[in-house]
Amino acid sequence: MLLHIGAFQLDADSQRSSPWHQLAPRTRLLCALLFVFATALTPQGRWWTWAIYALGLAILMGLSRITLPILLRRVATEFTFIAVVLLGTLFRQGGTVLWRWQGLQITTVGLMVLGSVATKALMCLLMLNLLVLTTSVPALLHALAALRTPPLLVAIFAAMYRYIGVLVEEFNTMRRAAASRNLTSGSRQQRLVVGNMIGGLFIRTYERGERIHQAMLARGYTGLPPGAEVTAASRQDRIALTLMTLLLLLGQAVYLWF
Amino acid sequence: MHHNPITITHLSYAYPDGTEALRNINLSIHASEKIAIVGANGSGKSTLLLHFNGILLPQTGEIIVGELPVEPRHLKAVRNFVGLVFQNPDDQIFMPTVWEDITFGPRNQGLSGAALAHRAEHAMYAVGLNPEHYASRNASNLSGGEKKRVAIAGVLAMQPQVLVLDEPTAQLDPRSRRQLIYLLQNLPLTQLVATHDLDLALDLCSRTIVLSQGEIVYDGSTEAVMNDQDFLERHALERPLCYTRPYCQLEHRPLEQPHPASLPHW
Repeated sequence: MLLHIGAFQLDADSQRSSPWHQLAPRTRLLCALLFVFATALTPQGRWWTWAIYALGLAILMGLSRITLPILLRRVATEFTFIAVVLLGTLFRQGGTVLWRWQGLQITTVGLMVLGSVATKALMCLLMLNLLVLTTSVPALLHALAALRTPPLLVAIFAAMYRYIGVLVEEFNTMRRAAASRNLTSGSRQQRLVVGNMIGGLFIRTYERGERIHQAMLARGYTGLPPGAEVTAASRQDRIALTLMTLLLLLGQAVYLWF
Repeated sequence: MHHNPITITHLSYAYPDGTEALRNINLSIHASEKIAIVGANGSGKSTLLLHFNGILLPQTGEIIVGELPVEPRHLKAVRNFVGLVFQNPDDQIFMPTVWEDITFGPRNQGLSGAALAHRAEHAMYAVGLNPEHYASRNASNLSGGEKKRVAIAGVLAMQPQVLVLDEPTAQLDPRSRRQLIYLLQNLPLTQLVATHDLDLALDLCSRTIVLSQGEIVYDGSTEAVMNDQDFLERHALERPLCYTRPYCQLEHRPLEQPHPASLPHW
């Protein structure tokens, strides 16, 4: 399933025009990051804060005119992975015991924590997927560079993005080569071969990395990627950031003052 | 423009495992020459190419590029002087979009803004890529021929005086190969082309260097060596296809008619 990553388009909705799309990619990234951090750092059980954030998120989803089915499908896939981890937060001490079976017990606190963490995870996933759906990966990388992410880190991300397709292609070639010589006998045999393929892929990747580095050196690479040019922020960008900050502060204020 | 952009004297190179890849190479290249470097697999072609812009440093002997010896302190200038196009464009195009990849070299030279855009566009036009269509294309979705052009544009954008290509026609379909040959013929740069494609060597290069087991065994006119079948076979090469047959199509056959007496009677 993972191996079909080259076939689908990450930024399915990046070519639309909407107020959200008019923002500079770095503003979108910054908004998303602010939202994710504010959501994740809110203490457990503050439902009203998340309700306000969810309202903001819903407005944003409407504004950015994304394709909802794609967004939901992706969030659903990712959430199943997170759900496995989340289950662990359910069984804990504290509060009233609601259900008990041998060593396991479900308490009110456990339910509250599970609900809080699940809400946080879901909202963060929605926000990040919205960002990735509407912003192409090269634009995101530029945004990271513009936000002063260490350039080497951005270069590593860029190379990962560039070469994932090449790696998938190489793996598929090896798999086809094995299949064309009748690799069908027994699942044990198959596992063995796939293991060897992954090992082979690792070595090939290493060698390719060396050749890429040589090619980079040949074009005057000195160890640090050249910096990206940053355009000035427009009025829209400033308004968007202000609105996002206001929303986040409003969410927190609910529990401070009421 | 220098009269002798590259001079190599007594260059030898051995790999860490002791394999001698190059032995006593002496070579002088003149401005605007187009030179083919041919030889069997493992004859040291690629190793020699990597020396031209200081990816490998000479172990013994000396390489002068422009006026500078290839030494660590001159590497930047040497790499701006000699552009190296690698065999597999996937190794060379490492940025996500075409535009970013082509601007990588000039950025390393310190260009930015309009000057950078001008350089990159100029290089893209030179290889026949329309910047409007290709600039934002994803590098992994290009065809083999397009990738090759992007790789060459990325090097041309640095405005080198010498262009070094490793197997430029490998994995190209006939039309892309022909377009590439036209492109190289029309580029007014000094060019060094390592290749197994002897038809390419014949089309493009007036001078040929034959490497065999790390040594230069021939350095001279391309046509002369391509006619010497014994010599080529001794060094694991073959005459170009266009030489091996007198003619391929009936209408190209020699004009002389067979003698009437030799025709069969019926």
